[in-house]
Amino acid sequence: MSALGGPAQTGGVQPPTTMGLALSIVLIIVALALAFFLVQTAGLIALVGIIVGGVLIAFGVHFVPVGGAPAAMGQAPGIATGVAMLAAGAGLAGLFGGAWAAPFGFAVALAGGAVGGGLLMAITCTMVNVIYVFGMGIPAASGKVAKDPITGDTFPEYKSQGTEGHGLPFISWVGGVIGGALGGLGGTLIYLELLDIYQTQLPVILNATVEQIASVAISLAGIFAVGMFLMNAVLAAYNITGTIEGPHDPKFKRFPRAVIAAATASAVAGIFAIALLELVGVF
Amino acid sequence: MSVKVEVGAGGIPHNQILIYGLVGSLVLIYLTYLNTITNTQYFSFFGGLAAVAALIWGTDTIKHLCSYGLGTGVPSAGMIALGSGVVAAIFGATTGIFAPIVTIIVAAIIGAVAGLMANHVVRMDIPVMIVSLIELAIVGAMTVLGLTAMACGTFEFLGMITGTVEFLGFTVQTYETSVIGGSIVAVIFMLGAIAIQHSFNACLGPGEKQDRTLMLAAECGFLSMITVAIISFAFIGFLPALVALLISIIGWIYTYVKYIELSKRDAYAWLDAKPILEPKGGA
Amino acid sequence: MEEIVFGIGITALAGALATVAGAAEDTESDIGSQGDPNSQVQLAPQMGYIHRIFNKAVAGEPPAYGLWVALGAGLAWAFMAMQINPILAIVLGSALAVFVQGVYATTAYLGRTASLAKFGQPVYIDILKSMTTVTMAHAFVAIFTTVAMCHLMIGALGHPFPLPLLGLVWGIALGAAGSATGNPFYGKERQYQEQKFGAGVPISASGNIVRYAEAGQRNSLDNGFFSAKLGGPASGICFGLIVFFELWRTVVFEELSIWGPIIVGIVVILVFAIIDRYIEVWARKNFGPYTAPEEAST
Repeated sequence: MSALGGPAQTGGVQPPTTMGLALSIVLIIVALALAFFLVQTAGLIALVGIIVGGVLIAFGVHFVPVGGAPAAMGQAPGIATGVAMLAAGAGLAGLFGGAWAAPFGFAVALAGGAVGGGLLMAITCTMVNVIYVFGMGIPAASGKVAKDPITGDTFPEYKSQGTEGHGLPFISWVGGVIGGALGGLGGTLIYLELLDIYQTQLPVILNATVEQIASVAISLAGIFAVGMFLMNAVLAAYNITGTIEGPHDPKFKRFPRAVIAAATASAVAGIFAIALLELVGVF
Repeated sequence: MSVKVEVGAGGIPHNQILIYGLVGSLVLIYLTYLNTITNTQYFSFFGGLAAVAALIWGTDTIKHLCSYGLGTGVPSAGMIALGSGVVAAIFGATTGIFAPIVTIIVAAIIGAVAGLMANHVVRMDIPVMIVSLIELAIVGAMTVLGLTAMACGTFEFLGMITGTVEFLGFTVQTYETSVIGGSIVAVIFMLGAIAIQHSFNACLGPGEKQDRTLMLAAECGFLSMITVAIISFAFIGFLPALVALLISIIGWIYTYVKYIELSKRDAYAWLDAKPILEPKGGA
Repeated sequence: MEEIVFGIGITALAGALATVAGAAEDTESDIGSQGDPNSQVQLAPQMGYIHRIFNKAVAGEPPAYGLWVALGAGLAWAFMAMQINPILAIVLGSALAVFVQGVYATTAYLGRTASLAKFGQPVYIDILKSMTTVTMAHAFVAIFTTVAMCHLMIGALGHPFPLPLLGLVWGIALGAAGSATGNPFYGKERQYQEQKFGAGVPISASGNIVRYAEAGQRNSLDNGFFSAKLGGPASGICFGLIVFFELWRTVVFEELSIWGPIIVGIVVILVFAIIDRYIEVWARKNFGPYTAPEEAST
């Protein structure tokens, strides 16, 4: 992404503060109670879906191998772009597939979203390796581990001098696909839950048929899904602080923090999205 | 990733900009309500001006936040701002005349949660994080609400989801050709997300000057207004949209010319078709 | 059956449009040094290397293209709502979006360069005059093809999203695919052409980008000329494959079973896994191993 100073290098992983944890639990419970109070069981289920979706997104971002600017110079392994935005690209491509398959039922749509996100990452990661190998003559070498946990390839002897490793090892490829699939799954889940709420409530409020309000419901659910996706992805990116190689990277172990943060943020943003139509016509 | 974020010191204090931005955007957005009172659409452009005021404030906030080095790009701050803002803005819009105030409150809640999560769970431990994310969420929400009000002439939800279509000489009401039904809000989302981060991202460096950055923020706002004014031809009358377009173009030309002058003032040299000036002593 | 044949035709057309879009997108961003290689263009003057490269830091490519394409789609949607012919509407919408892109590009160059005054980097105003138009032309191709592709998905394949939302989704995906594939080629092979081939840029060489061309001084048009040879087409293939497979698996296999597209999608992912592994092993066989370097930090 853009030129920025490196993150503060902190030794080890700092656990969340007690206050942060307590606040998260309280906020999630309050949001769930509000959802039940306002939209009954349907609201409760929808909010749980949104929280799970947010968690999946934040967790998925940690799998995506992103090297940022150093990767573009062959100085660090991974894909040369920003972590939040690459995940967003995959997740939203998944949302495209999931929304398309929505009429065939919940399970098919979710699977469609996951496969859509995974497919984007599979093709992108493969093309990244094509460029690294055939365009730049650089073999894959991780900087964080000596051995690929899946293929058993060793890396140190393939690392060129003065770099932290380069290219995209197979473990990172797998991580990218998993990350894309989780992002697509999470984004589609948020979209489907909101779409369900709006398609039930809008016809009653506006005294119209489901077909007439379809575009409004789809747009609202779609833009909220995009908004919440980006919110969770950025929180996860803050957790990663810049670059990550994939599931084998030591930074991957930080994911519980992002999961808690994403669950809480999704719960709070989600309750406003679910309760959106409660106040229409009141004022 | 290896460039230090440095910002210029001095200029107008941030709190002063905060107050101007908050009050200014609130008042300007309420001026669009003159549309309802006088039963015309000529006052729609005030919504765009509210967005400009909010963006100037948001730019200064981003400058404060990003001078700490987030470990990920400046654009991510714009994404989280608009991601939380869009939920708040559309929720707020459902409350009729109270829309702008409710929007600010809801945005502050979502921003506060995101900030608390970032500091206490993800452990960014950045002193201005919570305040900055609250401000950014409000800025994002006001930008969305302002530009939406500019496009359809009202900041009320029902006005955002209903539009009219001329069909064989009859005017038919429909939900499809509306700001939300047509997903124009997605365009406004991205316009805001790029505009809010661009000014600081474009001006960062040791020679950053507040007046130049803020002038660029206004320029981005007016540029966004131009496009929204063109889109608004589809929703509001020809003459009101033309008024909005003219005001946006005048504002944009003024700020763009001013910005170029300020860049000329701050630049090391302003050269046309000259070779590289190697520094004394050689590189 | 006829419906499927029609669907396959649309899928192929959408894939072709996406391929053009990806190639134009990467070439555009490389001419402007957008995305990650931007950091080096920004860093060079601080290391004492004054250059004449276009420094257009609007945002990362995914958000930037998210805006350009969503804006083009939104304007096209609005023109269509005003009863303007779709093709004309898409052209007009893309042209206006390109205008916004051009303005953002100029302000980004002026802002970044003016802020580097301390290091003696002057603003070369002729760069703006000659490069901005070229990036705008490439951006127009990318935006027009992507918006046209989105319009096809709605009009011919019946996707439920309205045009602007679809533009936002595919714009971000376009930027993600283009930046991921194209950035290393421009960043390593072009900016650091003088470094050894087949090795990463040593961190100590950061900022020492190539500033002189075969004749005279390098400008960003030379960079576009270079990345149009491999980085651009590769990005195009990447985005084209993504769009093609995404549509193809749904259009063709949805008739067989509602789970058909998902199974085919997983099979395609596995095929790409095999291709990727083959490439990786090929590289290990042919390019290495290098003599063990001094123990790098872990």
